[in-house]
Amino acid sequence: MAEHLTDSRDDNDLNFSMVIASAVHDMKNSLSMLLHSLDELREEHGPELTESKRFNTLQYEAQRVHGDLVQLLGLYRLQEDKLTAHVDEHHVPDFLALQLARHQPLLDGRNIQCALQSSEISGYFDQDLIGGILTNTINNAIRYTRSQISLAAREEDGYLVISVADDGQGYPQEMLDDPKPCLNSLDFDTGSTSLGLYFASSVAHLHKNGQRTGFIRLCNGGPLGGGIFEVWLP
Amino acid sequence: MSNNENNTGNPFRKLRYLIVDDFENFRLSLRQMLRSFGADHIEVAANGQTAVQRCTYEHFDVILCDYNLGKGKNGQHILEELRHRKLLKRTSLFIMVTAETSKEMVMGAREYQPDAYLTKPINRAMLDKRLGDLVEQRNALLPINREIDLENLPQAITLCRQALQDKPKYKTWLLKTLAELYFQLGDYTHARKIYEDVVSQRKLSWAQLGLARVLLAEQHYDEACSALNALIEEQPDFVEAYDVLAKTLAKQGKAAKAQKMLQKATELSPNALLRHKSLADIATQNQDMETAASAWRTTVTLGTHSVHDSPEHYISLGRSLSDLSDGDQTEVGQNYAGEALRIVSVMEKRFPEAVGVSTKSKLIQARVHAGQGRSREANAALEQAKLDIDPEKLDPDLGLDLAKTYYSVGATQLAEALLGDLAKRFENDPQVLGQIENLLDEPVSFRQKVKARALNRDGIKAFEGENLTDAASAFREALALVPNHAALNLNLIQVILRQIDKQQVGREALQDCKRCLDALSNLPTQHRQYRRYLALKKKIESMNHG
Repeated sequence: MAEHLTDSRDDNDLNFSMVIASAVHDMKNSLSMLLHSLDELREEHGPELTESKRFNTLQYEAQRVHGDLVQLLGLYRLQEDKLTAHVDEHHVPDFLALQLARHQPLLDGRNIQCALQSSEISGYFDQDLIGGILTNTINNAIRYTRSQISLAAREEDGYLVISVADDGQGYPQEMLDDPKPCLNSLDFDTGSTSLGLYFASSVAHLHKNGQRTGFIRLCNGGPLGGGIFEVWLP
Repeated sequence: MSNNENNTGNPFRKLRYLIVDDFENFRLSLRQMLRSFGADHIEVAANGQTAVQRCTYEHFDVILCDYNLGKGKNGQHILEELRHRKLLKRTSLFIMVTAETSKEMVMGAREYQPDAYLTKPINRAMLDKRLGDLVEQRNALLPINREIDLENLPQAITLCRQALQDKPKYKTWLLKTLAELYFQLGDYTHARKIYEDVVSQRKLSWAQLGLARVLLAEQHYDEACSALNALIEEQPDFVEAYDVLAKTLAKQGKAAKAQKMLQKATELSPNALLRHKSLADIATQNQDMETAASAWRTTVTLGTHSVHDSPEHYISLGRSLSDLSDGDQTEVGQNYAGEALRIVSVMEKRFPEAVGVSTKSKLIQARVHAGQGRSREANAALEQAKLDIDPEKLDPDLGLDLAKTYYSVGATQLAEALLGDLAKRFENDPQVLGQIENLLDEPVSFRQKVKARALNRDGIKAFEGENLTDAASAFREALALVPNHAALNLNLIQVILRQIDKQQVGREALQDCKRCLDALSNLPTQHRQYRRYLALKKKIESMNHG
């Protein structure tokens, strides 16, 4: 599967980040199989597994690692200047519902209510890239929320704004101050989240329309009172 | 929870499904999910061959096909074969199931795109949502696709126009399809209008590419080039843009640049057979035999599971390898020769029924042996090939190849007679005539050909700079390689005449001119240089008398 990650450099000239990238690629595919098996198990065993806290932790953590690996690969391609946004028109409510469906088993398992609010609008973005950062954000919200998550889209100032909100503690002040962390000074307490935000910010930035560029915004509060993640797409 | 229960009937129920996956687990779990949505008719296939076979005898509305199927055909091969053989209508949905980043491997596949991608892992809720949306879209667009399946394009256009009013949800699909339909009908004005309108709102890459294709079709090559260069600048991994740019450059006569573009495209998207084939063709045209051979080699390899596989690819590979091995008895040359013989033998086994294949194979064998100095084997293969050839009905391709083989075994007179005969039979076909002239001019290995052409260029440059001594020696050196080259002989005559005129050489140099004219005494009257030959001949005769 990893053949398209190798290039024709001299064999002796070992490119370590490329080696890591193809290893990550491989791990990610394995995790994808693992996640699929978890979904199957849940289908087969029904309620007893769905309620199981340990099973839900297993799925959450696997999903998290999977998301991290996808991000790592994205960052690798970003650094190699090979990540571009393939922007096309998408029907926003359908797109958001699909993102939510990905997390349905875990949401059900943890008894989390999830609301989707979007009018019948269409937006312009790369569905894989934006889907990727929403997957991670929703997974993150599942971890930090108490009981509710809201996924919403609106149009504001000529931007399409997609937001993920929860009723948890909200983001710590440092993150609100600087949503695009410097990756050279990674804080291991928030490591994965910082990585996620860095990637989300980079992906938003790849979306351009005329002079305007996409970005992310973090805040606390709103109707649910917890953290709110927003991606603004021009 | 799903959008499939609110209509009068369950839209999943009446559709016919085919699941293609090499893992039994995946097949079972997908089948179970589909069942739970109410699907009734579900077939499965574990590999590409079975999948294609099923589609030959049965119609499916939805095909869920994994990209990676282990050995044998992959998902893209299946899609191409089904669409190419018209076993899959546009009204059916082909959904490619992929692991996340393997999508790039699929992208840039030249002709056929799946209707949608589904990325693993897939759970029931996702499949329900995604498939529900796709089926809803399929049903909404069904009347349009039905007309396209029936080749009823004007009616499809009318329906698209209507749907733009009352189905705004599918605006992008409708605009893409509408522009494509206009393009197919040759109505470039309407196609261009749609693309321009879209681009003026937002620089979407599909519309920019469409616009460039219209510019190319309307022969606005410079504009097409600059549009495509700008697009590639923004989207360096947009493979189709490289394809169209290569086509445009080729139309402008910039074959070397076109080749470079196709090389970049094949690096970005290494699995599209037809792109490697285009690269091989243009590299052959550029006399870049190493690149041509390597591109033919890839074309042959990619053909293993592809509907586009053809003995002609093997023949072309054999021919380019035979060119590379010609007269090279070092280890490198021997390897090329060995590979050429192997590849034609593989071909004869793989396509035992194909017409004319064994004759072409014999001719390649004859040239390979001749090029390695094994004249006995060469003549034996040539004799065998001739048994199957009827000179009266010889088509140009085989005729030229036979003439080339005659040259390689040293049967120059047979070659010239055959070419003269072909020139008469195809005197109204300028392309064939051009090929005949090239072979008459340069019946030598491509290496000598390339060298002679370079010397010719040097000579012309020196002549233009009034550096007559250098010009004459460049043309003489080139003629030592290709003594019967029409343009070169005439070029040398002109240089000498000028030298005499400027009194740089004496009139005894006219003897050289005479020798040049003698070399062209068999020049066919259809030859591009024939009138120039006559004019110079007359001039020299008058000078001799004067």
